[in-house]
Amino acid sequence: MKVKIKSWVGVATWRWVANDDTCGICRLAFENCCPDCKLPGDDCPLVWGQCSHCYHMHCIMKWLNSQQVRQLCPMCRQEWKFKE
Amino acid sequence: MASPSPSERRLQKELSSLMKDPPPGVSVDANAVYQHLNLWNVHMKGADGTLYQGEDFQLQFRFSSKYPFDSPEVTFVGDNIPIHPHVYSNGHICLSILTDDWSPALSVQSVCLSIISMLSSCKEKASTLSIEKH
Repeated sequence: MKVKIKSWVGVATWRWVANDDTCGICRLAFENCCPDCKLPGDDCPLVWGQCSHCYHMHCIMKWLNSQQVRQLCPMCRQEWKFKE
Repeated sequence: MASPSPSERRLQKELSSLMKDPPPGVSVDANAVYQHLNLWNVHMKGADGTLYQGEDFQLQFRFSSKYPFDSPEVTFVGDNIPIHPHVYSNGHICLSILTDDWSPALSVQSVCLSIISMLSSCKEKASTLSIEKH
């Protein structure tokens, strides 16, 4: 029997591979975007610190920019350094 | 209705998690909080087996629009202010996580827990004034 495919629809799902479900700063799911964004995904990425804690990039940047003296991870208070 | 601001969205989440899993002796009037999300009145009972057992306290949380990047203002209010070396008679609380050591990963729950533990670890009821005299 020969089957002729006339059309097909591809469906894909994606998720961030993070050690937590929600951002510790905004408390929204990583699969969602930070509260300032409209679309999740590449426009509102996650970033990791060397301490292994992870946040929405926009959330952690907002926090780090508000810290004048020392920039610490909100979760573990170690000095924040972006994971390469 | 206007869509909630980032701080309001987070406060809504915190309210439901505080209702679901409150620290021991802590309760909040959710309906009142829904009216004014930036001003919470939280009831706190002195923990059993501590100097504050049997006492009831009221805490007021005031949140700015920059919450959780700014710490909440937390004070004891009402007619029973705990007598404690780190609590002023006007209700102000001397606790580092409420100022210099604030982190946006903290929450109403964790602040309540810190205040309960601050009270519970107290060995002798003394006011801030008597500490200054020493």
